[in-house]
Amino acid sequence: MDNSNIKSSPAAAQDTKKSGGSARTKMFLRMITASLIIRRSRMLAALMSIAIGATILSGLVTIYYDVPRQMGAQFRSYGANMILTGADGAFTQEDMDFALSQLGSAEVVGAAPYRYDNVRINESPVVAAGTDMQQASAASPYWSIEGELPASSGQIMVGAKIADSFRLKEGGYVTVTYTPELETEDGEVTADELMDFEITAILQTGGSEENYVYMSTEDIEALTGETDRIDVAELSISAGSGELSGFADKINSGSDAVSARLVKRVTASETTVLTKLQALVLLVTIVVLALTMICVATTMTAVVAERRREIGLRKAIGASDQSIIKEFMGESILLGLLGGILGSVLGFVFAQEVSVRVFSSSISFRPLLVPITVLVSIAVTGLSSLFPIKSATEVDPALVLKGE
Amino acid sequence: MFFRMIRGTLLRQWKKMLMIGFTIALGTSLAVAMLSVMLDVGDKVNQELKTYGANITVVPKEASVISDLYELEGGESSGAYLREDELGKIKTIFWAFNIVDFAPFVNAQATLPDGSEVTAVGIWFNHHMELPTGEQLDAGVVSMRSWWEIKSGSWIDEQNGDENTAMVGSVLAEREGISAGDTITLTGSSGSVSVKVAGIFDAGGDEDEQIFMPLNTAQALSGLDGKIDSIEVSALTTPDNELAERAAKDPGSLTVSQYETWYCTAYVSSICYQIQEVITDSVASAVRQVADSEGEILEKTKLLMLLITILSLIGAALGICNLVTASVMERSSEMGLMKAIGAQSGEVTGLVLTEIFITAVIGGAVGFFAGFGFAQIIGHTVFGAAVSLSPMVIPISAVLVVLVTLAGSIPAIRMLLRLQPAEVLHGR
Amino acid sequence: MSLLELKNVYKIYGQLHALDNVSMKVEKGEWVSIMGPSGSGKSTMMNIIGCMDKPSQGEVLLDGEDISKKDAKSLTTIRRDKIGLIFQQFHLVNYLTAVENVMLAQYYHSLPDEKEAMEALERVGLADRAKHLPSQLSGGEQQRVCVARALINHPEIILADEPTGNLDEANEKIVVDLFHKLHNEGTTLIVVTHDPEVAQVAQRMVVLRSGKLSKEVVNEHFTGEISYAD
Repeated sequence: MDNSNIKSSPAAAQDTKKSGGSARTKMFLRMITASLIIRRSRMLAALMSIAIGATILSGLVTIYYDVPRQMGAQFRSYGANMILTGADGAFTQEDMDFALSQLGSAEVVGAAPYRYDNVRINESPVVAAGTDMQQASAASPYWSIEGELPASSGQIMVGAKIADSFRLKEGGYVTVTYTPELETEDGEVTADELMDFEITAILQTGGSEENYVYMSTEDIEALTGETDRIDVAELSISAGSGELSGFADKINSGSDAVSARLVKRVTASETTVLTKLQALVLLVTIVVLALTMICVATTMTAVVAERRREIGLRKAIGASDQSIIKEFMGESILLGLLGGILGSVLGFVFAQEVSVRVFSSSISFRPLLVPITVLVSIAVTGLSSLFPIKSATEVDPALVLKGE
Repeated sequence: MFFRMIRGTLLRQWKKMLMIGFTIALGTSLAVAMLSVMLDVGDKVNQELKTYGANITVVPKEASVISDLYELEGGESSGAYLREDELGKIKTIFWAFNIVDFAPFVNAQATLPDGSEVTAVGIWFNHHMELPTGEQLDAGVVSMRSWWEIKSGSWIDEQNGDENTAMVGSVLAEREGISAGDTITLTGSSGSVSVKVAGIFDAGGDEDEQIFMPLNTAQALSGLDGKIDSIEVSALTTPDNELAERAAKDPGSLTVSQYETWYCTAYVSSICYQIQEVITDSVASAVRQVADSEGEILEKTKLLMLLITILSLIGAALGICNLVTASVMERSSEMGLMKAIGAQSGEVTGLVLTEIFITAVIGGAVGFFAGFGFAQIIGHTVFGAAVSLSPMVIPISAVLVVLVTLAGSIPAIRMLLRLQPAEVLHGR
Repeated sequence: MSLLELKNVYKIYGQLHALDNVSMKVEKGEWVSIMGPSGSGKSTMMNIIGCMDKPSQGEVLLDGEDISKKDAKSLTTIRRDKIGLIFQQFHLVNYLTAVENVMLAQYYHSLPDEKEAMEALERVGLADRAKHLPSQLSGGEQQRVCVARALINHPEIILADEPTGNLDEANEKIVVDLFHKLHNEGTTLIVVTHDPEVAQVAQRMVVLRSGKLSKEVVNEHFTGEISYAD
């Protein structure tokens, strides 16, 4: 496009000395926008490639920062990463509440108190665990539960091995016997406590949990007559291993009754795997970004190279090299700006989409990423068009116009 | 003449063609790198997840129900054992290649000189074995307890010969005042041994109260020669699906073809089934905590990489497309001239397409190797292992390059051909 | 029968009558120049005769065949077989050598034949420059390559659009001399130009003004040599 014929003559510029500066700016803006608007399809293509570059930049960086958080949540499926035990034997609900209060704002996925008592089924000894069923299954997401988690009093969940050996089935009933300490203080023999339970679920884990029966804390308290005792509590907390050991230290120094330990197997392994995953995403981001930026650069080079004739024409009608570079750079920077803004939006949409699809949770918006994306895309488009523009201005206008 | 012209373009216009070739190479390398990493990331992450330890445990059939129950009473075992001499067979099952590591366990009750009871566990640390197939193998818990923190001393090196060594859990060591380098005497049900403490470890669990020693030493303590209590197996598995769940309950409920599919897929349930086939009177079961979580994390990682790959493929495609379009548009006057001196549209299209395709093939080939290189860099940096080349990558990236190049050039060529040659030649 | 005949040809772009009821004939072996200021319809006429455009109205008979209603594909074929084009801006393919540029025309016409192409270059006096790229040739040399390219398929008509527009006087003379030689060999020449000196060399000069034929001058002292006024 040749807009140069509208250019105000030096004489006219002198006449309007006051508004001369703004007239020149107006003309400059008009020239760069006219080129963008009139060469619409080519510029759209260039804009698209810049926007894609910016999308990849902002999208991948967002994902990179979000991966530890999102993946960390996935790793909670390995179950508890912190165990609370009594400093000497058991501890109480109050101690547990204290421990939980030390966790600050960290998200607690599950916090299950357990107490274990020896009971008997069909006269065979069995360990019964009393717990908060909802919390227990939240803290141990890998539990494969057949049936419904016990929700009310009188319901019980049976480990698969127990179910196997006693031929218990979901929906059946079982009588649980508890024999209190054989001798009370005054030497009397107390009678066995009996309680009937409906079996609502069979638990499969492939681990020792299959050898227990699970009932609510209230039921086990009713059965044994002993209240407010917790043997061990399993906590599943969304936090890195450093943070976790901080919590453990806080709990241990804050309370004498309860001691917190990290489940090394879970925390150490999580750190290893997460570090690798984040490194993976980082490297992928770098490779993809580098290649995309080069792609954007070649596109810009091609776009400018295409316009050698126009540059020759502008020179022929008297434009200085500097003003040509300024005009074309103005155009590139405008493209970079638009592409960067578009890319920031699309990148966030992409990251959001990934997050929802992969982790089914939404992503937090990082406002800082917008100016960074815009600046990077302006820098890339600007730099990559600077060299071809410079080389184009060095060409003899006559040669260009003769139609090479 | 056709080739002379193409040669002319490629040799004398090489700068322009180089740029197209370069962009195509970049795009291809991006596609190849991402596809290779994506297709291999499952295996790699799976390998990493092995740090969580065994995902299959094998116990004797009778013991599977009763031993734990009786143990509660007196700590005596039920009398059902697996056979040590069958251990090597685990490496002979259909999915032997997927068995990353395994270790036998035998528990013995022992008394320390001061009379306190401890559990002594006999295991393989880094046991060297030669399989009937002629294969050599090192197996043991060193990699299956990667989370153990060695407080002092070091891991036991079985291949160094000395059997009378042990590793002591940190809690027990503290209570009994044992430190690395000490010699302690343990008395078991059928004899006593003096073992040198090679190291103190912190496992963050019940194991901190136990003593670990080579299998034979623990067997001698309790008179269980050639017998083992359980086997932990760490295997690379495919996440379970509905078929695998059904099969896990009862393999008999499957049709023949379903059974074949199940048996020949590395589901944790089919590997368990195959282990039961080779170990006499055994029950192999999945450790859900590990197996299920593995599946979950693998799936998420794969999906994440897939989406990133798609994004970068779109980026690469648009980049190539743009440049090809630009380079075709640039040649408008040449195409006008060819039409003016009598070329039919088809001939011009054929010429331009051939040129671009030769460039694309060269660029694509270069890009392929570059991309594979990128994938290796990623693999080595992140996982410390080479990323394997999936044969699928070659056709996918080839099709991508062809489609993208076509999509980039054909619309531009068509547009230019619609122009009157006179208009192009007169520079409009 | 005339080789080329335009019967009441119109070319209308919206309001603009680029060609307005033009009729003319060109006989075989004739050397005709078409003159006129810019905007007179010269280029439009050249495009129509050169089968690169179609008239809005009227008939164009080439060798007795009406080409005004043909589709683009058959126009390309006719152009390839019967017309040799020479442009003001040469339009050589810049990555092909001189001889290859000549062969390009053969290629689209029938079969490329390097020997024949070399002969054509010899005729225009460029045999020794055959392996040079256009960028290594002077303007006059480039135009002579164009002439060789136009000749190579033995066209019925050579159609030159401002062939000397980009050339200095010495090269202009070389090209006009070349035309003279071609004319003597019996080639039909139509030269579109606004340069009166080049136009006056021809046997007949047709002047266009605002799309209409304004005047026809027959050169009674035809020598085929260019002569300069001062």
